[in-house]
Amino acid sequence: MPSSFDVRFRVNGGTVSLTVPPEALLLDVLRDRLGLKGAKRSCDMQVCGACTVLVDGDAVSACTYLAVEVDGREVTTVEGLEQAEQLSPLQQAFVDRGSVQCGFCTAGMLMTASALLAEDRTPTREQVLHELRGNLCRCTGYQKIVEAILGCANGDSRPVPHDHAPRVEFHVVGRSVPRRDAVEKVTGRARYVSDLTHPGMAHARLLRSPYAHARIVRIDTSRARQLAGVHAVLTGADLQAVCDPYHGPAFRDRPMLAIDVARYEGEPVVAVAAEDDAIADRALELIEIEWEELPAVTTLAEALEPGAALVHERTPLAGHFADLSSLRPEPGTNVCHRFDYARGRVDDALAAADVVVEDTFAFPRVQHVSMEPHAALAAWDDEGGVTVWASTQNPFSVRVELAKMFGVPLGRIRIVVPLVGGGFGGKTYAKLEPIVVALARVARRPVRLIASVDDAFRTVRRCDARTTVRLGFAGDGTLRAVDCRGDFDVGAYADIGPRIIQKGTYTATGPYRVPHVRLASRAVYTNTTPGGAFRGFGVPELAWAVESLVDEAARRLDRDPVELRRQNLLNHGEEFAPGDTPIDGKFEESLSRAAEGIRWTQATAADRARGVAMMLKASIAPSVSEAIVRLHADASVTVLASTVELGQGARTVMAQIAAEVLAVPLDYVTVLTPDTSVTPYDQTTSSSRSTTLVGRAVQEAAADVVAQLIRIASIRLGVRSGVRRARSRSLRHGGRRAHRSRCRRAGADGGAARRQHAILGNGSRRGRDQSRRRDRRDHRRRLCLRRGRRTLHQSDPVRGAGRRRRHAGTRAYATRRDGLQRGATPERHARRLPRAARGRRPGASRVPVRRER
Amino acid sequence: MLRPFELHRPETLTDAATLMAQYGSDAAPYAGGTELLLLMKAGIARLPHLVDVKRLPGTATIEMRDGALTIGAAATHRAVERSPLVRARFPLVAGVAAHVANVRVRNVGTVGGNLAFADPHSDLATLFLTFDARLELVSSAGTRELPLDQFVLGPYETARQPEELLASVRLTPWPARTSGCYVKFGVHERPSLGIAVALTLGAEERVIAARLCVGCVSPRPHRIREAELLLTGQPLAAIEAVADEAGALAGRAVDPISDLHGSAEYKRHLVSVFTRRALDVAVARAHGREPQRGYAHAVVV
Repeated sequence: MPSSFDVRFRVNGGTVSLTVPPEALLLDVLRDRLGLKGAKRSCDMQVCGACTVLVDGDAVSACTYLAVEVDGREVTTVEGLEQAEQLSPLQQAFVDRGSVQCGFCTAGMLMTASALLAEDRTPTREQVLHELRGNLCRCTGYQKIVEAILGCANGDSRPVPHDHAPRVEFHVVGRSVPRRDAVEKVTGRARYVSDLTHPGMAHARLLRSPYAHARIVRIDTSRARQLAGVHAVLTGADLQAVCDPYHGPAFRDRPMLAIDVARYEGEPVVAVAAEDDAIADRALELIEIEWEELPAVTTLAEALEPGAALVHERTPLAGHFADLSSLRPEPGTNVCHRFDYARGRVDDALAAADVVVEDTFAFPRVQHVSMEPHAALAAWDDEGGVTVWASTQNPFSVRVELAKMFGVPLGRIRIVVPLVGGGFGGKTYAKLEPIVVALARVARRPVRLIASVDDAFRTVRRCDARTTVRLGFAGDGTLRAVDCRGDFDVGAYADIGPRIIQKGTYTATGPYRVPHVRLASRAVYTNTTPGGAFRGFGVPELAWAVESLVDEAARRLDRDPVELRRQNLLNHGEEFAPGDTPIDGKFEESLSRAAEGIRWTQATAADRARGVAMMLKASIAPSVSEAIVRLHADASVTVLASTVELGQGARTVMAQIAAEVLAVPLDYVTVLTPDTSVTPYDQTTSSSRSTTLVGRAVQEAAADVVAQLIRIASIRLGVRSGVRRARSRSLRHGGRRAHRSRCRRAGADGGAARRQHAILGNGSRRGRDQSRRRDRRDHRRRLCLRRGRRTLHQSDPVRGAGRRRRHAGTRAYATRRDGLQRGATPERHARRLPRAARGRRPGASRVPVRRER
Repeated sequence: MLRPFELHRPETLTDAATLMAQYGSDAAPYAGGTELLLLMKAGIARLPHLVDVKRLPGTATIEMRDGALTIGAAATHRAVERSPLVRARFPLVAGVAAHVANVRVRNVGTVGGNLAFADPHSDLATLFLTFDARLELVSSAGTRELPLDQFVLGPYETARQPEELLASVRLTPWPARTSGCYVKFGVHERPSLGIAVALTLGAEERVIAARLCVGCVSPRPHRIREAELLLTGQPLAAIEAVADEAGALAGRAVDPISDLHGSAEYKRHLVSVFTRRALDVAVARAHGREPQRGYAHAVVV
């Protein structure tokens, strides 16, 4: 038997004695035996630097470093940087300069920088860059990290000045404030799913398919099941007894474990939960699988050939995403959905065009490579409910999937999302959560699964695409026609692919006025890792094709590419497409500023590359966000909202908004972590929607609190001011601070405090779908809304109608300010519905409260 | 996650050699572990025994011996980078050591491990070819010495027998009036291309010896004799004029494959372009100038 070693070493100043086997890695010893979770496991191959710790002052990758090596040495982790419970100057610099985003790389950055600064107090920028070369930040915050290190070296920890002045009408919003989670992230105290444990927890591992397409002839798991310390072994065949194994937002086509057939290399086939990771790994090695390899299609070209092997023999059922009720699979082929849109006479326009440019473009597969790979921990309770701590961007979608799969009511499923180490679209919709929940049910104990970066590549990736685009221009540079055909490779399971092709294709014409348009895209199954959401959600795939051709057209027309674009831009307020609403964007200004930013007009021959491109990214709509704001008797505030902190700073933004409306200091506000059993519904943290939609919900909820306060205060103070007027004044007019504080005092003294409870405010934002537009055109209906007769939304199971009614008036008038949301339901434009929404346009960019006055 | 194994910590090089003889291919020498532990974690290497060679006396020393720089196999890249001796006498070696992988690998990874692993995407072997590097291999049967060129046989393949240990590498200083550089290019963690150039000047400012070594794009790093022949005998002033031709020769002489680093055709193109650039740097240095211009995604040492 292998021997063990007694090691005695110092960690962050204290002495530790341990017995470790030779194969123990320093990272596991620090995290699991010493509870020092600050060093993170990410790439697990010395490339990313997230696990950097210091051994005798030198940076090492704890993920690939034997624990026995530290015997007699001094180990420093991020937890050891604080001095006398004070942040070190370097940590403080990271906080002050905004050098922290998702936080998963932060500990490694700090440790590498500490080692550098210990050796050289005043490094040059080049030295800092050189030393940090091995530390990756996926949020791309390098600039501020380098500034913090240099600033710390110079004894200058002032925040980097911003080039824009804060807007004077706000006190908290619009100002750069330190992130809420910065301190916990620079001290290593921040907790991600992989840092969480649960009593009696088992550790999960997955056995994956070695083939792109193969039939499972036989699986023998008996030896694995007999291994001591193994709590559960699950195969696709076992699943049917546990749950409905299929999930997927567009199609329910993805079994959590391969059933009969594995459809891509790396598809999970067997899941094991065991006492520890090592036993789970050994169990995987004891599993025997007999495979029958099947013909595989691994590229778009192969999958689209006539007679190509079919990835799915049968058309799968539709998934839970409501606006994909119009799924259009083509039976007998690998095409699982197509999107077509046309207006005008494209062929005639192209024939008549003076310049036609055409080309075919290939867009590659890409993985998101979040610093924190996917992770989930599930624990069933005695009442048949399950709690899942998940690294996910949309806990409510995961909840819906799990409810369907396991037959559990929504209210019994609790998805908790601690800090997430980056998402980029890769953590939207259920990924590993179903497997963990199934394992936990069978193992009858909590189960945690932490994916590796390798696993992430086998879980989701961006859809690759092949697009052929034709643009027709008149001789004067007017864009006359766009003809676009695109094939998107959605991999073995569609995930949200059908929606990606709709959204990406519909905006292919960019911010230009185009009379004749024909767009056709197909989502194609292949025997590859499922393709899912990725920053841009299908738009860049087509935009780079169209924009490359605009450049080509500029060459052919002998025009400046920027001017050619400018000539064809939609005007502000001009509808994006007939029947669709205008986009709230300043295209011309954006273009000018981008061109100025790269000194476009001063291009020189020495330039290797200089270019301008424009694209439209639709925000997700219609979509729903809700918030609850609780004002406590001492004027502290709790914000309940389900926006996920991915590194974008959403928690800080929500706190700012609540503090602004309630006129309380920022540090009075606590923003809760998303928990589907506590925090209200939010559709998803993606699509750049959190600040506009969740933020507005928080704003409304806070305003609701203010209104209630004023009501209490006016009764208390004997002032007969109308609630509406007072609310409006408190929100919008000068002198409000005095007014508000008086209200708050009165409210707190006379209302909340005496009765010892908090004031609860609700807010809700929802995008408009077609029916709501019709609502708006309907005057009588609008009056009803103003009076508060409005039905509850299904997604809102908790709160009473009474409280919501107070908001109905506001909601009926409120419009969103996030620009392109209306372009998001393209299929209705495809059907070329009448110009339904025109009546709404004038209010598109207004603030609701103003409108109300 | 590593599978269990036995870790041996012999006290002397002889004991280590005995252990290697005993376990043969069931054992591997273990020093920094930066390559070995990765292979073991990935399940590519399954080794029941590791023999720790970095604690052996004398294996981490860096010294001049018989006129050659002798680097113990267990010396870390960081130790080479910081060694006053190397910095003074072999600044190029110290400079390249500072650019191996990342700081954490440099702190732990060793020169011997780098050479013995024989990853084609490595800097040291390519550079060391210009110093006529010779390797000292030790086994219980005795010691033998091999030129680096005969040691590296192909990707991850060396002339080291399972029972042998790499003890040190010896670098012969360049002749007087030699200037050179090492240029590497790549956007991945490991370099996509490494080129080492050394030009020795004789009377009338003529190149009397040229060394041009290319790594990463062939199964193993090697000298480009055709290009060296072309350069030898040229006046320094004429190097610029023949640099393109030398680059073209180098591009033809390499044996690239298409992989994640690029297509074979692309790699040949890279070799041509960077051969010319490396020659430009070497010529500038021969004139006593340090070239200011950098190249995107490239490191010039």
